[in-house]
Amino acid sequence: MSTDEKGATGDIEAIRKGFETRGYICNAHIATSIFLAEKLQKPLLVEGPPGVGKTELAKATAELVGKPLIRLQCYEGLDEAKALYEWKYGKQLLYTQVLKEKLGDLMSGAQGLKESMTRLHDFDDTFFSEEFLEPRPLLKALWQPGGAVLLIDEIDKSDDEFEAFLLELLSDYQISVPELGTIRARTTPVVFLTSNNTREIGDALKRRCLHLYIPFPDTDLEQRIIAARVPEMEVRLRTQLVAFVQGLRELDLKKLPAVSETIDWARTMVLLHARELDAELVRNTLNVLLKFQDDIDNVDGEVNALLAKAVQAG
Amino acid sequence: MSEVLGDFIRALRSADIRVSTSESIDAGNVVDLVGFDDRQTLKDALSQVLAKSDDEKQAFAETFDTYFSFEQFKERPAAANENDEDGDPGEQDGGDGEGGDPSQSGSASAPGGGGMGGEPSGEPSSSRGSDLAGLLERGDQAELQMALAEGARQAQLNRIRLFTQRGMFTRRIMENMGLDGLNEEIERREASGNARGAERLGQLREGLRSQVRDYVEKQLEIFTANSGRQLREEVLAQMRLSNVDRSDMKIMRELVRKMAKKLIALHSRRKKVTRRGMLDVRRTIRANIEYDGLLFHTIWKKTKVDRPKVMAVCDVSGSVAQVSRFLLMFLYSLQEVLPAVRSFAFSGHLGETTDLFKREKLEDALVEVLRDFGGGSTDYGQALMDLESLALDDIDHRTTILILGDARSNYGDPRGDILKKMHARARRVIWLNPEPRTMWNSGDSEMRRLAPYCDRALTCASLKDLERVVSDLLRSAV
Repeated sequence: MSTDEKGATGDIEAIRKGFETRGYICNAHIATSIFLAEKLQKPLLVEGPPGVGKTELAKATAELVGKPLIRLQCYEGLDEAKALYEWKYGKQLLYTQVLKEKLGDLMSGAQGLKESMTRLHDFDDTFFSEEFLEPRPLLKALWQPGGAVLLIDEIDKSDDEFEAFLLELLSDYQISVPELGTIRARTTPVVFLTSNNTREIGDALKRRCLHLYIPFPDTDLEQRIIAARVPEMEVRLRTQLVAFVQGLRELDLKKLPAVSETIDWARTMVLLHARELDAELVRNTLNVLLKFQDDIDNVDGEVNALLAKAVQAG
Repeated sequence: MSEVLGDFIRALRSADIRVSTSESIDAGNVVDLVGFDDRQTLKDALSQVLAKSDDEKQAFAETFDTYFSFEQFKERPAAANENDEDGDPGEQDGGDGEGGDPSQSGSASAPGGGGMGGEPSGEPSSSRGSDLAGLLERGDQAELQMALAEGARQAQLNRIRLFTQRGMFTRRIMENMGLDGLNEEIERREASGNARGAERLGQLREGLRSQVRDYVEKQLEIFTANSGRQLREEVLAQMRLSNVDRSDMKIMRELVRKMAKKLIALHSRRKKVTRRGMLDVRRTIRANIEYDGLLFHTIWKKTKVDRPKVMAVCDVSGSVAQVSRFLLMFLYSLQEVLPAVRSFAFSGHLGETTDLFKREKLEDALVEVLRDFGGGSTDYGQALMDLESLALDDIDHRTTILILGDARSNYGDPRGDILKKMHARARRVIWLNPEPRTMWNSGDSEMRRLAPYCDRALTCASLKDLERVVSDLLRSAV
């Protein structure tokens, strides 16, 4: 047991380090989930507020394991034809026309309808075959020879029916095409599902997945993320900037600034050659951080207080 | 080890976390992968398999911390050492007793080594007399913890449900750990004149007893933390609303919130209903351009399901007030799904409470409504007349009128003609009567004269009934 455990912690640490070298800074919790998803071969459902790096996690994983990332963006009305496969209708039409022309040759010398039918039956039926199948993201992921990382993004935006349709894929890594039968994965893909929680995901789906909740990062983690993403920024400004954003998250806002916004803001600061946060600068760039005019108006009054705290931290 | 996990999952379930069988199996695999040694990793890993929403994650963290806390024995070593030191001179005086005594007396000058020195001495004694006595005297807390856990397992402590079972389980665990042997050992020492030794062991026994009791209480807390509340909620949901005790109001409010949340989750997406047979020609042609205009892919006309506009009219006089309160609570909590709710309250005269609800917090609003409109003698005729002047213009084919009351109009004319007029304009009129059907039309109840103008007249006495009505309201709105 203890050696096993050493191995597990070691692996988790290795995953975390691997992410770090690729510019995705995470804590042990997230690394643990990647470790489990890979070992248990289970899909990973990632939830959390927008902009905390859910999609980024899938991208970093794809890079880490060296497999192609196949992405499926969900939206209302997404159906099988767009997510899984479609028949190449045009080619099928051509095929039937070719077949019609060849039909004469094929049937020549046949006696009566019965024999013609037998001959027709002997003829290879390629109308519904994999050659005429146009793979969409899900099927592509199953067919990928070396395995793939499949990202099903914003599953909460799709319909209930689509969610139900995913169940077979998620539990057995196979899908059924009525005309062909079951198609199994050549290599089991690593599957990520992300959700912003705009609606409750069904129990059946949740049961088949590991569940990871990524909250807003704490000060320390956010500093490291900024350091990795915007390395040209000075330490003091970075500390102030992160402290300011952390203070902002404690206010009652319509949309709290996420990590992606902090990164944008940090880049803005670097572009403006800022050396230190001051009220003027903050007010002018607040729209990078906050996306609602109401929020910007609300924060305007608090800027000085927040800034004082942030400068203290710096 | 898997038994530990099984118990833990049971504890999670009693903490309101739903864990399915397949998830338990996953949890087993996870434990095989990461092991029990690193607590943080185990917690991280298990939380991803077993807790799958924000609420559940929180409950999980709490349960994990309580369940896997091994702290109760941590303070004990110090105390046990003290006992040893206290006992040492006594045993020197006593002279005979255990074979290990000389070594312990030798270590008396170095208290730190006392426990260590005593250890080998414990083993021979345990083989002779009682395992438990040796264990206690050695003061090895890890071993004691294991013995306790094993005793608890044999006693099936995980079945504990009632706090009255504490004593029984404490005794059983002690017995499984070898209480009899310990008692014999004490008697034997007393018989052989080692009074101090017996007394010391007696003290240790009492110490152990309180430890076991603590342990049992903690387990009781883990396994029953929520089952009591669950039971209470179940009962309350079915109870006649007029019988609900004031002290349960807090749970009831929570319950209403929960039910409303469930309904919101169920109905928050606007459903589209396909009307098969009605081809949407424009969109079909557009969709089939890619197939050379051959109509492979047909698109049917759809209708969006509209949310109902609700007008809730609540009788707030005496007996019915309790039920109205919950209906209003329900509608208030459903504002996310229901676009337009207008609420009215009456007993003698009728007034609109919509703005009040928008302005105030739910609790304050309810109190105010009951103060302003409650208490008068009920007059349905007057109420309907007031409603007509206030809201008739706003009633259209999307409006559902929800009337909650017992239709007891103190022998006044209930003005069925006004209700008839409203019925003609509205989509639906639903009457909820908190009285059982057999009581309708008895005495001054005017149901017979009002019910004909309602699409449905229902008995609605418990929260479950209310939930059903409101759910129906949301679903059948086509």
